[in-house]
Amino acid sequence: MHRIAFKVALAPLAIAACAALAAAGPAAAATITLGASVQMTGSLANTGRYYKDGYEFAVDRINKAGGVKVGSAHEQLALKILDNQSDDNLAVRQYTQLVSTDKIGLLLGPFASGTVIATSSVAEKYEVPMVQGGGASDQIFSRGYKYVFGTLPVASKYFESTIAAGAKLNPPVKTVALLYADDAFDVSVAKGTRTWLEKAGMKLVLDERYSTNASDFSSLLSRIKSDHPDAVLVAGHETEVLNFIRQSKSLDVSPKLYSFTVGVPSADFRKALGKDGDYAFGMTSWLPSASMKDRWFGNGEEFEKAWKAQFGFEPDYHAASAVADVEAFVMAIEAAGSTDPKKVRDALSKVDFESLYGRIQFDSVGQISLPQTVVQVQNGNVVPVYGDKGFINKAMYPMPDWSKR
Amino acid sequence: MNLLWQGIVNGVLLGGLYALMALGLALVWGVLNIVNLAHGALIMLGGYVCYYLFTGAHIDPFVALPITAAVLFVVGYAIQRRLLNLVIRAPMFNTLLITFGLDVVLTYAAQIAFSADFRTVNPSYAGANFSLLGATVPVVRLLAFVIALALTFGLWLFLTRTPLGRAIRATSQNLVAARLYGVEPRRIYALTFGIGAALAGAAGALYGVVSQLNPYIGTSLTAKSFVIAIIGGLSNPLGVIVGGLVLGLVESMTSLYIGATYTNVASFGILVLVLIVRPTGLLGRTA
Repeated sequence: MHRIAFKVALAPLAIAACAALAAAGPAAAATITLGASVQMTGSLANTGRYYKDGYEFAVDRINKAGGVKVGSAHEQLALKILDNQSDDNLAVRQYTQLVSTDKIGLLLGPFASGTVIATSSVAEKYEVPMVQGGGASDQIFSRGYKYVFGTLPVASKYFESTIAAGAKLNPPVKTVALLYADDAFDVSVAKGTRTWLEKAGMKLVLDERYSTNASDFSSLLSRIKSDHPDAVLVAGHETEVLNFIRQSKSLDVSPKLYSFTVGVPSADFRKALGKDGDYAFGMTSWLPSASMKDRWFGNGEEFEKAWKAQFGFEPDYHAASAVADVEAFVMAIEAAGSTDPKKVRDALSKVDFESLYGRIQFDSVGQISLPQTVVQVQNGNVVPVYGDKGFINKAMYPMPDWSKR
Repeated sequence: MNLLWQGIVNGVLLGGLYALMALGLALVWGVLNIVNLAHGALIMLGGYVCYYLFTGAHIDPFVALPITAAVLFVVGYAIQRRLLNLVIRAPMFNTLLITFGLDVVLTYAAQIAFSADFRTVNPSYAGANFSLLGATVPVVRLLAFVIALALTFGLWLFLTRTPLGRAIRATSQNLVAARLYGVEPRRIYALTFGIGAALAGAAGALYGVVSQLNPYIGTSLTAKSFVIAIIGGLSNPLGVIVGGLVLGLVESMTSLYIGATYTNVASFGILVLVLIVRPTGLLGRTA
């Protein structure tokens, strides 16, 4: 008896609740959900977190500015970001889950070439577009995939501008040592670098692959010391670069120039090295500039200010690239007038707009084309040294002996 | 400059640091029969303790070294007393699981507490070096090497010459007999694990000075320590020094003459070779 009475009492409540839900449905603005799996924890979290921050920062700003215009309706953006713990297999499962279980048809990418190579296959298989700003390896774009778009410039060109600058420095760089980690991105960088070196007529005196996560560079540094090349180019990861620079000091190795694919633009990297970080060259696909107009953030410089106010440190190209990914989706959805994955994909292949990150336009394989500006750490700050129009600021070159710094 | 000579110097100095990393793992393994998969995480914690003593309280890292070791001793003692003593009689698989879990907890706790930022312990003399017969010798690595030797020798003296050390060895050799002589195993276990953690802390402090710290360095350091402990054997701390030196030299020579990408192949190859030829380690007792 009791139970029946209870049910009877509940019934109207349940109906009322259903009605309330039904009423709430159409009243709230519809949302477009973007899905991503990024490295919030694990060995790649140091950079992976910039992508989560970047995606959230962009979505927040776009929603405050009125959201996305789909046809005649304004819709809000939402994010579903999962933590893949720096595990590529988990990332693949999470993207599969995002597409198949959560029915998300628009994907943002993870960090790092290896993870992008693995997870972009999910996007291609389910025919949903992935816009990613974390992978640059040529392998991502050489598979004929139609659903993967990238906002980092191609890996093989990372050292192109550095080599061009090296040829014009005084004295010019003639001999080079190339070190690279044995992963997808860095092997691509090395492959491209050899061609640029050949074109510039520079001699490669040491060309050595090392294991990812190496912590001891004393043997390689000893070889560099005995071959004494003018320049040392290192394609690796931030932890390796930190060890490399610290150990070059302790083994007293100072080439005229050394340059690194990663690290130099990141604030915490420079902080970890302190004064020893000076003279290190690097490259960046992005530097905050007022001349880069942006629909939501005003321009690159204002974006930098807004980011710094929110997070307390300067954004680097990873963060800007992540923001550009979200913007590319919004532009494509508005152009397509739909959130249908295939229509958005077609619209993405045609987007062409100015952003805080630069001009966003994807080529036939889905990759952006941006020049890499050569930067150098000078007195703890990142200073642009050489761009596509020549020298911007004076390079501190050649690097003096460690004992004279 | 003679490259071979420089390579030997590099390898020997690297080996000293390696040995210090592995010393605590080998001790705990030998006495408690626990392969502590959280050993690398303890090294990482030691690094952070030293980092904060250095940047926060401006204590020189070599002065901070004993403080770091003391802090980690307390941590290790507590871990053994409250956690590992619960499974000390359980099959080895359980202790592997629990230390693996501990590694995950410590790593992620470190990320929450210290963030994923890179840190270095960077005193003004961190890059100092001098020349020895044409080879460049980094001062800090040499100091680390000397400290590793001193701690190993000290541990050896402690285990063989002091009543407490003898009690530790007795517990590992014959538990029943040790108890009959009044040894309380739970306390001995906690002390041993504490000493192992203190050694990890000391290694972490030095690691922060020569390399870099982030919450994820633990796993690879555990693997390296594991290899060294096996190469050197568990019965004698001096074996760990031999194991460290062998590994340091093998890595240095591989990187010099074969290719830097093959250092892991070479070091794990040596591990397999030792297991085949001398399963008790280079200095281990023969069965």
